[in-house]
Amino acid sequence: MVAPAVIVTAALVLYPLIAGFVTSLRSGDVALGEQSRFVGLGNYGDVVSSSTVHEAVAHTLVYVVLAVTLELALGLIVAIALHHVFPGRGIVLAILILPWALPSVVSGVLWRRMFDPDSGLLNSVLMQLHLVSHPQVWLASRTWALAFITLVHVWSVLPLVSLVLIAGLQNIPDDVYSASAVDGATPLRQFRHITLPLLRPSIAVALTIGTVWAIKIFDEIYVLNGTALNTRSIVMEVYTTTFVNADFPHGTALAFLLTGITAVLAAGYALAFGRSRT
Amino acid sequence: MDRPNAASTNGIVLERVRKEFPGGIVAVRDISLEVHPSELLVLVGPSGCGKTTTLRMIAGLEAVTAGEIRIAGRLVTNLPPRHRNVAMIFQNYALYAHMNVRANMGFGLKMAGMPKREIRARVDQAAGILGLTDLLDRKPRQLSGGQRQRVAMGRAIVREPTAFLMDEPLSNLDAKLRLEMRAEIATIHRRIGAPTLYVTHDQTEAMTMGDRVAILRDGALEQIGTPLELYEQPANVFVAEFIGSPGMNLLPAKLDIDTFDDAWYARLGDSRLLIPPKARAALRPFAGHSVVLGLRPEDFMPSEHLRDSQSRIIQATVTRTESLGSESLAYLSINGIANSQPLLARLDRRTTIQKDTPILIGVDIDRLYFFDPTNGTTLK
Amino acid sequence: MTRFRAARFVRTVAIAAIILWSLAPIALGVVTSVSTQADVRAIPLHWLPDHVTMDPYRGLLGGTADIRAGGTVSETGAFAQAMWNSASITLISTLAILCVAISAGYAFARLRFPGRNVLFWVVVATAIIPVFTLVIALFQLLAEAGLIDRKLGLVLVFVSTSTPLAMWLVHNHVKELPTEPEEAALLDGCTRWQAFWHVVLPQMRSSIAALSAILVLSVWGEFLIPLLLTSTSASKPVAVLIPEYVGKYTTNYPLLAAAGVLALLPPAVVALVLNRHIRGMLSGSS
Repeated sequence: MVAPAVIVTAALVLYPLIAGFVTSLRSGDVALGEQSRFVGLGNYGDVVSSSTVHEAVAHTLVYVVLAVTLELALGLIVAIALHHVFPGRGIVLAILILPWALPSVVSGVLWRRMFDPDSGLLNSVLMQLHLVSHPQVWLASRTWALAFITLVHVWSVLPLVSLVLIAGLQNIPDDVYSASAVDGATPLRQFRHITLPLLRPSIAVALTIGTVWAIKIFDEIYVLNGTALNTRSIVMEVYTTTFVNADFPHGTALAFLLTGITAVLAAGYALAFGRSRT
Repeated sequence: MDRPNAASTNGIVLERVRKEFPGGIVAVRDISLEVHPSELLVLVGPSGCGKTTTLRMIAGLEAVTAGEIRIAGRLVTNLPPRHRNVAMIFQNYALYAHMNVRANMGFGLKMAGMPKREIRARVDQAAGILGLTDLLDRKPRQLSGGQRQRVAMGRAIVREPTAFLMDEPLSNLDAKLRLEMRAEIATIHRRIGAPTLYVTHDQTEAMTMGDRVAILRDGALEQIGTPLELYEQPANVFVAEFIGSPGMNLLPAKLDIDTFDDAWYARLGDSRLLIPPKARAALRPFAGHSVVLGLRPEDFMPSEHLRDSQSRIIQATVTRTESLGSESLAYLSINGIANSQPLLARLDRRTTIQKDTPILIGVDIDRLYFFDPTNGTTLK
Repeated sequence: MTRFRAARFVRTVAIAAIILWSLAPIALGVVTSVSTQADVRAIPLHWLPDHVTMDPYRGLLGGTADIRAGGTVSETGAFAQAMWNSASITLISTLAILCVAISAGYAFARLRFPGRNVLFWVVVATAIIPVFTLVIALFQLLAEAGLIDRKLGLVLVFVSTSTPLAMWLVHNHVKELPTEPEEAALLDGCTRWQAFWHVVLPQMRSSIAALSAILVLSVWGEFLIPLLLTSTSASKPVAVLIPEYVGKYTTNYPLLAAAGVLALLPPAVVALVLNRHIRGMLSGSS
């Protein structure tokens, strides 16, 4: 009964990983017929010192911090608005999920209309309001591009974060609020001293989910800005290196490096939040 | 020890059955016992004594480490549950939540490939016996605890199994329901007639329901016999204390032999009790030493009724009383023993006793029990 | 009382904002998809098109939306083919993942066999590996097996990336179920398999529905993996085809929007129909 799962994992996960790791330790473009030589950690060295990689890491950090902050802030608002029962709540929740359910390329496509230089909605609105004089090429500017890509990403991920926070809110028993009201607490104080602390586990989960999804960001960037340098994320960088530049050794090295970092991060998270669960 | 009789192998027979868990925990130690063909044998003991594990081994839900199990003459030790033709009733009913009552009861028959018409007939008949006819189309979640347990029984009897196993079936029911169901289980058992093994931790249930009772402790069989045998002739201190509610009073007592009177006495603080001559043989090795004295709360009596009362009374002080209406319970502290363990006495409700007053309480010395202080065996 | 009314007012506003925020881009896409290019490019903005046209849809589904549409789509009938690819890949992958994950999840939760714990954690640990690492590693293996640009290759990859997590979810759920009904079934004459089929599976109906919905959504929307592993319309799913309608200099927005709308219909339907199950699994399993 267990055999299929184990075979699948062994054949399709473990073996390729090992083979891939070996590739990362060699160099030479096989496609061009070069002999592949063993260069040990040389590829890793190249990768770590490459400036495009540094930029990609910086961009990814921006994505992560920006996205997670927005997701938590907006997610809290959504959760507070939606966790009580009201007529039509089921429908609203169903609508809430939609952005997450759509393929992220489609999200990118839907939002793209906003930012297009020629026929974009944003430009039209701004020009009609006389805030700008001519159409802006938003995605050419690094700051704006990062911001808008993050926006699209948040649009996709917010439902997931909201659901986690709603569940967390629903786990707080009403008695606690009643007791504090009797003790004279205002809604704001209740929020600060009861809601937030009791929500900590859910916030931790939401934080983790948001971070994981943000680190993987790729689809939105591809649709909105392609492989342009000013918005590359880590995954985009790996993709470009490996498939656009056909440089498997370096691409694989970068991929494994990032896997290692992710694993360390995951372990760190697990330790930090594992403790706070007491 | 209960040795299987080669001729009576239609019941459930366990031969030196042992269960060891990884890590070296021995849950069941070489138990041998037999459930006679039409008997209801109760397996009773404190939590962790191995009674449920034994039951599960008979059902086939737990593998046997060593030993043999036979049901209706067949060796079933290594057979999977479905080949043993055994029915089991679980503490939590274990009904199939997504099926209605009829489907629940008919499931085993369906698995056996019985034709639908026959299944329907058997289910209807069992439902009639158990009063479930009106509930056949309901789902378990729409039933009360008692009804669910009846469905579980229906599911079991419909298969006409060669053995019945019951794992604390009444523990989840409230007290009143428990009394009702006890009677019902007994009735059904008599009607069906298959050998039944009934596991419980409640000694009252054991005494009222069992044709015979087997007491387990730490995986070993302490004693097996009819309820009365266990009550009158406990094999050791554990059985003596376990059977009877409230339990037997157990106290250390020194054996004094008065060679002048040719009388043997058990000394308890300031009091001494005459030991009946028939008990002397067993006690000889302990002369001058301490033994464990056992006396049931129901074997006390007001001292006025005793002749030759000096050696049949205990001088004590009443520390607490509880009036149950039908009788009184008195907690006594024996005079002359510092930090004496309270003696519990059941007294007629007309006896007037007051807290913190001294009392001379009479003892039926023919009902004294003596136990070896080193290993708890009854001295007789 | 005013405090409550004010709070309720704020909440109503928030709810309206949430609905607007969630639906606006989709609505915009739908509107764009039935406009003409002229309407789309008009400045000042035409909120609603002057001329409503179904040409973009006709073009996509009829297979005439090719290279003249802008972008790099060069084969006729590519879109319909891509929708079919997505549908078949999603269906087969989901079924395969369900079979493997459910049987393995149950086995790990209920059966006892040597090495159980080790195997379990090894499989689950692979869920942490970022997908792109896996795909790059898998690429060469698949190339050698001739599975690049083939639907079967995609299915295999999806199964291997999604099974660990799915299996872990199933395992957790099964552990919560009481064991006695299964034992009763064993005594009633069932083998382990029969007990699983008749007693356990029916109890898991709703979580299997939720899991299936989430798998369908996740496979249908997968982009990076098929991007790397497909090159022709023989196996390209819709998610990969759509960015190809984005032109280097200009884009036919109605066409792009129509493609997007068609591609979002199946997941939207799944999400709306099974939304309660999905919500349950998402908020509970974290």
